[in-house]
Amino acid sequence: MKVSYYPGCDLYTKAKVLNDSIKASFKVADFDLKELTNWYCCGTTFTLARDNKMSLIAPLRILAKAQKENGLLLVPCSICYNTLKRANYIFRNDQETLGIINEHLGENYDGNVEIVHPFEFIRENQDKFKSGIKRSLGEMKLGCYYGCYLLRPKDEIGFDDPEAPTIMEDFIKLMGGIPVNFPLKVECCGSYLIINSLEAALQMVYKILKNARENGAEALITSCPVCHYNLDNFQDKIVKMHPEHKPIPIFYFSQIMAIAYDLPTEVWGLGYNKVSPETLLKEHRIL
Amino acid sequence: MRKLARDLDFINKIQEISQQNIRDCYQCGRCTAGCPFAEFMDEPPNRIIRYIQLGLKDDVLKAQGPWFCAACLVCETRCPRGVDIPRIMEAVRTIHLRAKEQVIDIDRIDKELLKDAHPLVLMSALNKYSY
Repeated sequence: MKVSYYPGCDLYTKAKVLNDSIKASFKVADFDLKELTNWYCCGTTFTLARDNKMSLIAPLRILAKAQKENGLLLVPCSICYNTLKRANYIFRNDQETLGIINEHLGENYDGNVEIVHPFEFIRENQDKFKSGIKRSLGEMKLGCYYGCYLLRPKDEIGFDDPEAPTIMEDFIKLMGGIPVNFPLKVECCGSYLIINSLEAALQMVYKILKNARENGAEALITSCPVCHYNLDNFQDKIVKMHPEHKPIPIFYFSQIMAIAYDLPTEVWGLGYNKVSPETLLKEHRIL
Repeated sequence: MRKLARDLDFINKIQEISQQNIRDCYQCGRCTAGCPFAEFMDEPPNRIIRYIQLGLKDDVLKAQGPWFCAACLVCETRCPRGVDIPRIMEAVRTIHLRAKEQVIDIDRIDKELLKDAHPLVLMSALNKYSY
């Protein structure tokens, strides 16, 4: 079955491993991800100023293209997902704004495209995703890090309980792994503060990683390229600040799918992980 | 005691940009209690909102607090009055940025960080910090 797919800019650059592993893993479950033709950047972080309509132009162009496909758009990047879903919420509930942007772009978008995240898609098609599993994840304990963009605002995203979500834990269980719950799984990684307020962002990253370790996680999974960057990229700095910190690998959820489906190791893309997961995978006899 | 200069235009401007009714807030402080970056802020979210309620434009505009808001929306989720606080923080930032006051200068970003900076993070930072 073909599914319309919006990778977003990042999945061609820093998060290429997410793109490669999700496409290959969905293929195993018999879903062919068909990239939206000539897609644009979604505009990154959603603009919160309500009188700024410029930021709705890119999302409408993307949604209008998706409308011409089959009305469902799979978006794996948490930021793109959040931005497109929030823009879509405005298009559905504010006819005046929808009219202004449609007229400006010469489009005829009706607000009916469904933005779907892979976790939601997998939840709806559990049997198909389960049938492809070939390899055990052993006793590896995986912390599920949600971050902000998948959960909030709850009325517009409606993804899961914003304070105590379980969809990622259910995903890990489906893949045959052991999920680890930890309280800071819904806290912010610092996002763009890393550029301008490195100290504040790194303190948050340290708190999250420490909390995950204390609750037994040996690695974390995420679907957000920004969370992945902040959590994975600065652990050498964190070790300098907190020498007791033991680096913890950060996987994209789709890397775990590629492992469970026993896809070629190139698809696992372990070279992309700055904190190498190789020792951990060897400990659990996965590598 | 300081005489309060209540700037009604400022209150209206914030409400117009954020589309929030600033008087909905009854100052319970849950936004600040849950804010992961409140400890780095000179003025935390509930005080920024209080200043806006009082129309204290200068106090709001000299505060550094809104620049430490990562728009993580924890406060919005927990507010018992349904106030979308991140939209109010963005309204404060927007007033600065529309007056051509930005807090980020790409030439001053740490070179090592910039060399390997994630494009999404950099774009988001420029979205929030520059005009």
